[in-house]
Amino acid sequence: MTTSLKVNGKAVTIDAPAEMPLLWVLREQLGLTGTKYGCGIGACGACTVHLDGTAMRACQIPLEMTADKDVLTIEGYSTNGLHLLQQAWIAHQVPQCGYCQSGMIMAAADLLKRNPAPSDADIRQAITNLCRCGTYERIIAAILDAAAQMRNGQSA
Amino acid sequence: MSAPAITRRALLKATLLGAGAVGFGVHGLDAAQAASGADAEVSSWIVIRTDGRVVIRIPQSELGQGVTTSLAQLLAEELDLAWGEFDTEYFDAQINRQRHNVYVHTATLNSWSSDLLFEPMRLAGAQVKAMLLTAAAAQLKVTASTLRIAGARIEHAASGRSLGFEQVASAAAALPIPPAASVKLKAREQWKLIGQSLPRLDAEAKCTGAAQFGLDVQVPGMKYAAVRQSPVFGGRLVSFDANAVMAMPGVIKVVAIQAGPSGYTVPDTLWDIIDWQMDDAVAVVADSWWLAEQALRALPMVWDEGRHAKVDSAAIATALDAALAQPGQVMRSEGDADAALAAAAKTVEAEYRYPYMEHAPLEPMNCTALVTAAGVEAWAPTQYADEALRIAAYAAQRPLKDIKLHLTLSGGGFGRRLSNDYVSQAVQVAVQMPNVPIKLIASREETTRRGYYAPVAAARLRGALDAQGRVSAWRSHVVYGRSPVQPYGMSRVPFAIDNVRCEYSSVDTPPPFGWMRGVAHSQSLWMNLGFLGELAEAAGKSSYEMQLALLDETRVSRQRADADDAVARIKRQKALLETVVKLAGGARLDERGKGRGIAVTDMSYVPGYHSSCVAMAMDVALDGEGKLRVERVIAAVDVGLAINPRNVEAQVQGGIAFGLSNALYGQITLRDGRVEQGNFNDYPLLKMLAMPKVEVHIQSTGGRPSGIGEESVPVTVAALVDAVHAAGGPRIRALPLAAQKLVPRAS
Repeated sequence: MTTSLKVNGKAVTIDAPAEMPLLWVLREQLGLTGTKYGCGIGACGACTVHLDGTAMRACQIPLEMTADKDVLTIEGYSTNGLHLLQQAWIAHQVPQCGYCQSGMIMAAADLLKRNPAPSDADIRQAITNLCRCGTYERIIAAILDAAAQMRNGQSA
Repeated sequence: MSAPAITRRALLKATLLGAGAVGFGVHGLDAAQAASGADAEVSSWIVIRTDGRVVIRIPQSELGQGVTTSLAQLLAEELDLAWGEFDTEYFDAQINRQRHNVYVHTATLNSWSSDLLFEPMRLAGAQVKAMLLTAAAAQLKVTASTLRIAGARIEHAASGRSLGFEQVASAAAALPIPPAASVKLKAREQWKLIGQSLPRLDAEAKCTGAAQFGLDVQVPGMKYAAVRQSPVFGGRLVSFDANAVMAMPGVIKVVAIQAGPSGYTVPDTLWDIIDWQMDDAVAVVADSWWLAEQALRALPMVWDEGRHAKVDSAAIATALDAALAQPGQVMRSEGDADAALAAAAKTVEAEYRYPYMEHAPLEPMNCTALVTAAGVEAWAPTQYADEALRIAAYAAQRPLKDIKLHLTLSGGGFGRRLSNDYVSQAVQVAVQMPNVPIKLIASREETTRRGYYAPVAAARLRGALDAQGRVSAWRSHVVYGRSPVQPYGMSRVPFAIDNVRCEYSSVDTPPPFGWMRGVAHSQSLWMNLGFLGELAEAAGKSSYEMQLALLDETRVSRQRADADDAVARIKRQKALLETVVKLAGGARLDERGKGRGIAVTDMSYVPGYHSSCVAMAMDVALDGEGKLRVERVIAAVDVGLAINPRNVEAQVQGGIAFGLSNALYGQITLRDGRVEQGNFNDYPLLKMLAMPKVEVHIQSTGGRPSGIGEESVPVTVAALVDAVHAAGGPRIRALPLAAQKLVPRAS
């Protein structure tokens, strides 16, 4: 069966079973490997993407649910150089192994859309993605920093 | 009787160092090799591209520990490159093999990278610098000593002339590599890069999705394999019914994978350290991994579950208890512990237990392999690429020279990727589908259930207090599940106690052994310090007071063969302990329901071992319902020389998260021979919500770097256990904490 959707602003038509999770469509059919497989049960968040502007676990989104929708992955997150959030991530030297960070950034981007001035506690509540390397503190610092910059009108 | 048995780890280290001494620095490239390619390989460590760009080869696996950055700092320092004036690539295990371990130390384990490669990386940079300058001097007809490197060019200041690296690279590559003794490394005060918190070289790629992990390898025409090993350890495959799934979407083939070595045991190697095996498995190959996994779940399989079919965690605990009831091998004996116990004013006895734990790196086990008439090509996120090469050769039954191994980034390792089971599996599938690239991925459930686990352990400790309330005897007996002999965790207890006896036993339990970040110090340190807390309580002291009392170098018996080492360890640990207490603002919290845990350790395996030292103060809150919150952690670390302090901080933060995650939630249990956990719903990891504030204070005391990848893990567990008690909670004698009621003690 074919499904038509938009990925990172580009229209694509996918020929795959309706129940195939979006994660595998992105990775295997579209070559967008920035979205990671970590658990397959929606627990780790390494596959976080935006579906019509809302952060979701791509391993829990059947392909059929994406018909005529907009999917945004880490590869499409910044259209012009690095996004402020990515810059903050680098400035705070967040990544260690880096495997979870695509999902973390997509989750953080979603949070900042809903809450442009999150507190430390807001961030801890909102982001349930797992990082086995333990980069959590630097993630929080990067989000707080990026949020402040974005509020100051420097948004990319 | 009391001579410390050499640990396998120490043996491995000796072997690695020995091999390095033979291989390092003697390999030159022949002229034909140097002139043949467009890019010039000046030495095994450096390639210069046609545009003059330098590529530094990193002879380790990047697992997130920042080794790409820190090792590049060492080499770039000597080559006079500024930060950003070069690229990096990972070493080629085939080159390392052909050139007899030219990279000195490639297995990525034991927090060794910055220690063991501290000289080799710098030397490689200095040697290549000498070669480039010699070649440039010949071309410019000046003496090499009048030249310098700046802006990734070679300059002759007197004449104002300069050469790009690419203009001399081929000529330099044809030169013999200067002997190590002829090359002078920079003095410390000349360093511009070493010791600086330079930004990670891989940070940007890891923030854009561009970083390529093993899971991300894409080879044209690639198909996907999902894999399932015997559900019971040691089980054998009897049959499967491929016809039942061949009609499912995307399914191409179902293949059997044979049990065999997954590390260290392959013939034709120097290595015979531990015996890593994997069991029979089945793989389904399909157009998509998800489709392959669906078919695998539907595939009828028959297993001979073998002699472990009924093993469960209770049976393993019983086996450990039985071993505890017997005398163990004496690993350390000083004075007369039994006599001191008999003469004691007070004795304390307790048993401690540690469960199996899984590394749970976020990237599941995977490998991509292609088998053709020409040979085997494999792409693997592994901590031990040299071994992956051998495993691939063994799995394909091809000579080692026919293997090409691409080392990829790893999405975490923590010791799990020292075994190369996934390499064997992928190659075995690819052998049965020649000319088709196969990406084999173990599901999270398969990764969890077929791990190489940190071993289960149980210990009985007995201590004596004399009439003055001083500790007069210390006896321990630890029993490990399947493991190499690793008594150091229990027997290297640093305290100045006159009568000490440490015994060791092991039981051959079914789950395979794995090294895990923190190694046996993780099992033992919290047991030793927890029990010390019990002795302190019996003596009417706090745990911290008792630690200080026993970290007294004046009380070390001069009759001990390792007296000098013992004194040095005590002085260092005591100083760092006092530092962390000062940083924390005191040794205790005077607030109801809150407690501060204090702990210190080095990572010493044998006397004289060069290790970092970490002291920690951890504040926890425990409410009336027993809900625990870790609020704040202060770590003081002595790492010898910090090559990149900000990365040291990251490693300590990460080690604390790892230790907390393990101590709070980590537990692998068995039932009917099977691992009961499968995914992050039943093997939870620490979340951001539970991550405490961490302050890291780095003491860069000079000398050479010592490891910091795992050193903060054991001390985190010990500080946590101490803090729970300090907050009014129960004595913790088993992990994980989440499995227990932490109801406050009646005071």
